[in-house]
Amino acid sequence: MAKTIRLTATDGSTVEFVDEVIGSGAMKDVYFSPDRKYVVGFFREPQDANAKDRLQNIVGTYRDKIFGQIGGEYWENLFCWPTKLVEWNGHLGIVCPTYQPHFFFKDGMFKGKEKEGKWFASAKLRNKFLTPAQKGTWLTHYHMCLQIARAVRRLHAAGLAHSDLSYKNVLVDPETGRAAIIDCDGLVVPAKYPPDVVGTPDFIAPEVLQTRSLKLGDDAKKLPSIQTDRHALAVLIYMYLLNRHPLRGGKVNDLDPAKDEELSMGAKALFIEHPTDKSNRPNLKDVNPAELPQADVTKRPYTICGPYLTELFNRAFIDGLHDPSRRPTADEWETALVKTTDLIQPCQNPGCEAHWFVFDNTTKPRCPFCGTEYHGQLPVLNLYYSPSHGKFLPENYRLMVYDKQSLYMWHVNRFITPNERTRPEDKKPVGDFHFHQGKWILINRRLPDMWDVSQQPKRQIKPGEYVELTEGKKILLSTDNGGRLIVVQVVNN
Amino acid sequence: MRRLPVYLLIDTSGSMRGEPIESVKVGLEAMVSSLRQDPFALESVNISIITYDRDVKQILPLTPLDELQLPEITTPESGPTHTGQALRLLCEKIDSEVRLSTPDEKGDWMPLLFLMTDGKPSDIQLYNEMIPEVRKRHFASIIACAAGMSARTEPLKALTDEVYSLDTVDSTAFKKFFKWVSDSIGVGNRSIGATDNLVLPPPPDEVNVIV
Repeated sequence: MAKTIRLTATDGSTVEFVDEVIGSGAMKDVYFSPDRKYVVGFFREPQDANAKDRLQNIVGTYRDKIFGQIGGEYWENLFCWPTKLVEWNGHLGIVCPTYQPHFFFKDGMFKGKEKEGKWFASAKLRNKFLTPAQKGTWLTHYHMCLQIARAVRRLHAAGLAHSDLSYKNVLVDPETGRAAIIDCDGLVVPAKYPPDVVGTPDFIAPEVLQTRSLKLGDDAKKLPSIQTDRHALAVLIYMYLLNRHPLRGGKVNDLDPAKDEELSMGAKALFIEHPTDKSNRPNLKDVNPAELPQADVTKRPYTICGPYLTELFNRAFIDGLHDPSRRPTADEWETALVKTTDLIQPCQNPGCEAHWFVFDNTTKPRCPFCGTEYHGQLPVLNLYYSPSHGKFLPENYRLMVYDKQSLYMWHVNRFITPNERTRPEDKKPVGDFHFHQGKWILINRRLPDMWDVSQQPKRQIKPGEYVELTEGKKILLSTDNGGRLIVVQVVNN
Repeated sequence: MRRLPVYLLIDTSGSMRGEPIESVKVGLEAMVSSLRQDPFALESVNISIITYDRDVKQILPLTPLDELQLPEITTPESGPTHTGQALRLLCEKIDSEVRLSTPDEKGDWMPLLFLMTDGKPSDIQLYNEMIPEVRKRHFASIIACAAGMSARTEPLKALTDEVYSLDTVDSTAFKKFFKWVSDSIGVGNRSIGATDNLVLPPPPDEVNVIV
């Protein structure tokens, strides 16, 4: 039995750990606390004063900025953030909460291993090694991406860059749709602490790779920053939703594989689905059969992710690939992901692996994964907002209806957005949709002021009452400032 | 997706018989099972094993990690160590198994080579002739391991700068060595330092770096 070591952290609190290494990373050796509620990771190499100062800030000021606010506990699930700094035998160490149990495989070939994102982002690994339950659904992948985008947005809002976002540093659980950012000890504060790393292959921004051979201190050298995090975030979202890398296509930029890699991810990086320059389309002859069908961009183009994400992917991988200032922000990704989950529909094929697909704004919706066409009536709610009394304008925001779906306050009022600031009472559904006796209906559960305004005189739908969703129906969800009007369209197939 | 070819050259001469070769097998088993838990390796690593004593055999052709089964490794009672011939077979296999890039098709990553011996080449002339041939094959990295007290490091140093020696040839030493080999194979997936090029992880304590 290894002995327990007791230390005093820099904040004066007591830290205990069992003197037996449970794992070693690139820089640290990691130990468990006796109750396994936290781990202590000691840096193998001595850390200079600058690094120590940075770590002190990460466990102190920066941690407070994010966790010390009202609602700060929301972030405990989205980050595995160092809590304390300790020193032992001349080695600096950080204390981190243990990863939550859903971030470990609980059965199958990889039982007990961490669910690092790569398992779920690679077509070959998904197709060959994961069970259907481990893979979750396409909807849970949107939920994972949403949490990653939200966590990155929060970091950036605090002026911090992660600097090494990759599927190694993001744990995900597609079964429940959860994600958490780990390894926050490398955080970069622009103009204060320079980065330790340039990033992980697949996620390094082109401008960083392109200037990697320049010396530190050279002004032209690009290092990780908030802008390069935005590139890594876009790559992560693309990979989780489509299971292929946006820049790894068929184009050979050099016969030497190492130089080819440097050019294909750096100076000559080109989106594999670029609409006009098709020279980097994946070469299907070249592709391992286990990577299909995901590797086939004609079968699963990025546009299956819906209009909001398509626009952001265009900005990330076409306009902003070599022009960092044009990349979408984490905030924009978060908003687009929320809006996209409102366009998502269950696939009617019970055997469909994805289970869900994004409505493509056509009159003949069809699941892009299994090819099943949607049969029956499909109500589409178009959301309108009111800039002034009695006047309503479209918002480019739609809500697709499916059986037993819920209506939330962020649909009702445009000043409410679903995020960490959502009040607990706003997290509860306010209404629900049903396909009941051959009709689509919306049951009002909690909205005090909901009106069917399709005809004069307008008719109130009180809590507990329902309204049928038919073509052209206009329903005012709230008369408050920011309250929305929905106009129903019905797709018939 | 590019493959990462990994070639293992294992000394099976008479002196490896008994505990040493059993330890190598245990180490190999542990390496394969640990690599199979690594998503990066499962996606791209392909392994080939060549054994050499009097005879030189490719006992495992280049095979994807998830599909391979470790073949039986046998050792003769005694006899020479044909390391030179092993390098010759290695070059032939590289030429036939590793896909090179062409202007319109991506090839494999540059291969890695791990060579383990507990003695010295009996065919030293051929060995020396093969060294420039091995160089021409552009390995991403060549790591040589001299196992045990009678292993000679000088010939290995002619092949590569990265020569490590194991003081003992028991299962602990080999297990640590192969653990390190698997960490080295996975290194492409790690964060890259802001200043340095890709570096291998530090060898375990039991391994001595020959400089």
